[in-house]
Amino acid sequence: MPKAKKETEKFDFGAAYKELESIIGWFERGEVDLDEGLRKFERGLELARQCKGRLKEVENRVTQIKARFDELEGGE
Amino acid sequence: MQVYSVSQFVEFVNAALGSAVFPEGAAVEGEVTGYRTSQGKWIWFDLKDEGALINCFATVWQLRSPIEDGMRVRAFGLPKIHPKSGKFSLVVERVELVGEGALRRAYELLKKKLTDEGLFAPERKRPLPAFPRRIGLIASAESAAYGDFLRILGNRWGGLEIVLADVQVQGRAAVPQIVNAFRYFNEHPDAAEVLVLTRGGGSLEDLQAFNSEEVARAVFGSRLPVVVGVGHERDESLADHAADVRASTPTNAAEIVVPDRRDVAAAISAAADRLTGAMNSAVAVRAAGVADMAGHLESGARRAAAGFDLRLARLTRQAAAFAADLRSRSAAVGAASGRLTAAMAALGSGFGSGVAAKERLLRGLDPRRLLERGYALVTRAGRVVKAASDVGVGERVDIRLARGRLGAEVTDRSNV
Repeated sequence: MPKAKKETEKFDFGAAYKELESIIGWFERGEVDLDEGLRKFERGLELARQCKGRLKEVENRVTQIKARFDELEGGE
Repeated sequence: MQVYSVSQFVEFVNAALGSAVFPEGAAVEGEVTGYRTSQGKWIWFDLKDEGALINCFATVWQLRSPIEDGMRVRAFGLPKIHPKSGKFSLVVERVELVGEGALRRAYELLKKKLTDEGLFAPERKRPLPAFPRRIGLIASAESAAYGDFLRILGNRWGGLEIVLADVQVQGRAAVPQIVNAFRYFNEHPDAAEVLVLTRGGGSLEDLQAFNSEEVARAVFGSRLPVVVGVGHERDESLADHAADVRASTPTNAAEIVVPDRRDVAAAISAAADRLTGAMNSAVAVRAAGVADMAGHLESGARRAAAGFDLRLARLTRQAAAFAADLRSRSAAVGAASGRLTAAMAALGSGFGSGVAAKERLLRGLDPRRLLERGYALVTRAGRVVKAASDVGVGERVDIRLARGRLGAEVTDRSNV
């Protein structure tokens, strides 16, 4: 059985990307409170930086399932 | 000569046919005729050629291939005399379709059946995760399709965990292995977030496993969303139709299951630009509002000063100085914005201090500080009232003080 890889587990690209989009949505709805805006702005840039960093990962890992599929129960 | 009872004779002949004559069973090829089912359980048909005919019997659960009259098939089973009726028939365990025509026809029949059952309904298709981390791959590790899929995947995205179920994709073992691979992923839902079933192109005969009812149902029954990519562009399979997303080739499956990092990088840069733009315009709007308000306070104070109050005259000077101060600060904000934009475009780490500086500047511009000094902000319907003519007598206005708000009704006005 495949073991969850630590590094990919640490940073959830999908979640970060979604949060970045929601921050932009928040800004584009207008009526920006500056204190909140600055916080969100900084968070947004941090997310963009993390996402870009994640794109530098190039290796993909293949794990083969050990089970033999013709030996599992109830095949036919 | 030995004399048998009828029962003994039938029993002996059946035993002899099974163990002595056809120890591995018999395979008989011919054309199907007189196909009929009974109670949804039993199947009867005859196999014939130019010179002869043999009666065949099978159970519905064993005979998964859809057959009909006129098809050429190879029936595998054992010949047997039915003790009660004395009828001689081939008890069929499995049927193989012979020739492209029969396969094509069987494909159409099964496709219609599964369509009617709703296996291919568009409304049951599920969306794929946008950025999967673990991909369950059901393919033959020996196949070109497997290599193509991994290569394109690697070109597009990294940091993936590919969980491979190495199965045969043609031959007798293919169907149960593929079905079991789906079962494995159903039983280990954390192993992957999306499944890809793929193989290279081939003849209809080669693709039989992907056109089998069992595999189509396994795809349909998967708890994880499934992408199926079989063969070349022109090929289609029932597994394709049952998939949540159909890919035209193994390569296309890789393109569907992960985004291209170059596209995503561009999207992130665009997002950062939009964010910076939105922040800058929010700052600009606020700075303009503050300057506006300061101007009003200033002119209001001037008018009051003309009404010979010396203390107000002093205040006027203070307000004017404050407004000048604000204007120079606005310029500073603009400059800070420019620096920030450059820093952000690079997406480096140096923008942190710029943001902090900007934040300090903005705090200085906060209109609440003006209110603290005893000025008030008058609004009507959410808009700042800049001239007495903006409001009619009897209308309600909202007065914002440093602490709290007042609602007021205009009782008189002068336009001076």
